[in-house]
Amino acid sequence: MTTQRSGRPEQQLFEDPAVDRLMGVLMALATEHYVLRDRVRALEGQLAKTGTLDVSALDAEPTAAELAAAQADRDAFAEALLKPLLGEQQAKGATGPFSLKKK
Amino acid sequence: MDERAFSAAQGFLLAAKMYWTTTLYRALRDEFLAKSSVDQKEQSVEDVAAILEDSPLYQYFAWLERHLQRMKYAGRYGLVPYHDERRGELLAALTGDAELDRDLELPGYYTGVDIHQHPGGLWSDATAALVYERGARSTTPMLGEAHKDLHDRFTDVVAAAGPPRRILDMGGGFGKSTGPLAERFPDSSVESVDLSAPCVTLGAHLAKQRQLDNVRYRQMDARSTDYSDASFDLVTSTMVLHELPTKALEELFDEALRVLEPGGRMVHLDFYSIPDGFRRFIHYGHARRNNEPFMQPLASTDLAALLKKKGFVDIEITPFKESEEIDIEKNDAWRFPWTVVTATKPEVSS
Repeated sequence: MTTQRSGRPEQQLFEDPAVDRLMGVLMALATEHYVLRDRVRALEGQLAKTGTLDVSALDAEPTAAELAAAQADRDAFAEALLKPLLGEQQAKGATGPFSLKKK
Repeated sequence: MDERAFSAAQGFLLAAKMYWTTTLYRALRDEFLAKSSVDQKEQSVEDVAAILEDSPLYQYFAWLERHLQRMKYAGRYGLVPYHDERRGELLAALTGDAELDRDLELPGYYTGVDIHQHPGGLWSDATAALVYERGARSTTPMLGEAHKDLHDRFTDVVAAAGPPRRILDMGGGFGKSTGPLAERFPDSSVESVDLSAPCVTLGAHLAKQRQLDNVRYRQMDARSTDYSDASFDLVTSTMVLHELPTKALEELFDEALRVLEPGGRMVHLDFYSIPDGFRRFIHYGHARRNNEPFMQPLASTDLAALLKKKGFVDIEITPFKESEEIDIEKNDAWRFPWTVVTATKPEVSS
């Protein structure tokens, strides 16, 4: 996967720009977590409805074939999680620090 | 991305925005009031900045304002990739008779910044209006589905002076403002002009779906239309003035004056009247973080003086209630400084 980069530095909102980027990682992770949570809830609901939920099968270690099948999904997850570390804005606009303090 | 994942991610971001709009905003305001020793109405933006800019709470508030919006549009579950994946099907479904101008030269102020953090802006991709339409549903999270109500309430303001006959909606976009005007005044003819080809295309499509036959969508610069002098008795715009640099704003007013008949009215809905330094600080920060470079210049322009200089009379600048439930004085959640600006072309030119 090739990460697309804008080359434009993102706005800095914390004193330490590392915090800006770390927050980006955290929020991407939080979003992904919620997507997963929503899907699991839906899945379990459907399975429970039809009486086909097998908890022990769910807990079992995935097979090599299952792991290979999920590779692209893992790559996309990794990119979404780590891309904020580049510190680049997605939409072009004002950049750099901002202050309304008296000069 | 599948529909469920997109819906869950966007739902999470909206829930986070709601928390930001209410709890975090109130906490920031409380912190400011606790640290501020003078009457807040007397405080300048710089005074508020000196109090708040080093606050961790403010820094998180600012970060979330910028990045919840970024994640709404871009990234793995953003509106842009969602619509891009579905572009063939979505674009094939668009019908309508938008009048496009392939030779229209888009102004630099319009293409230079991706407003609202919408990558590529409202003009550079055919799906941009669909992205914008979807995004606008959660622009004002406190309003939720009532966002539509805001535009209906604007037609109440227009209707107060009697039903218009010929309306020009400047920067009418995909019709969020134009549609309610055309529906409210079925005997009028409405012209909606916008720089964005994707927006006028979607506007014409939605008008056709709603069987509105009294409205046209045309790709045109509102500052230099092809309408004859005195063609309209009403010129409107909704959330357009703050997208214009001062020179373009003046040109827009000049054009409105030209195409209005003597005695005709101009009514704009925008973000302008800000009661105190804290809210001005919040508004200017929003402008910066949401890629709105001309929001601060508009809010610091003396609009009444400018409109008077341009030759308008009966100038009124009034705070606007965006929903029935909101109490402007008592509201303690984040909101835009909604304002209606009305002015009239004199019966006899002075």
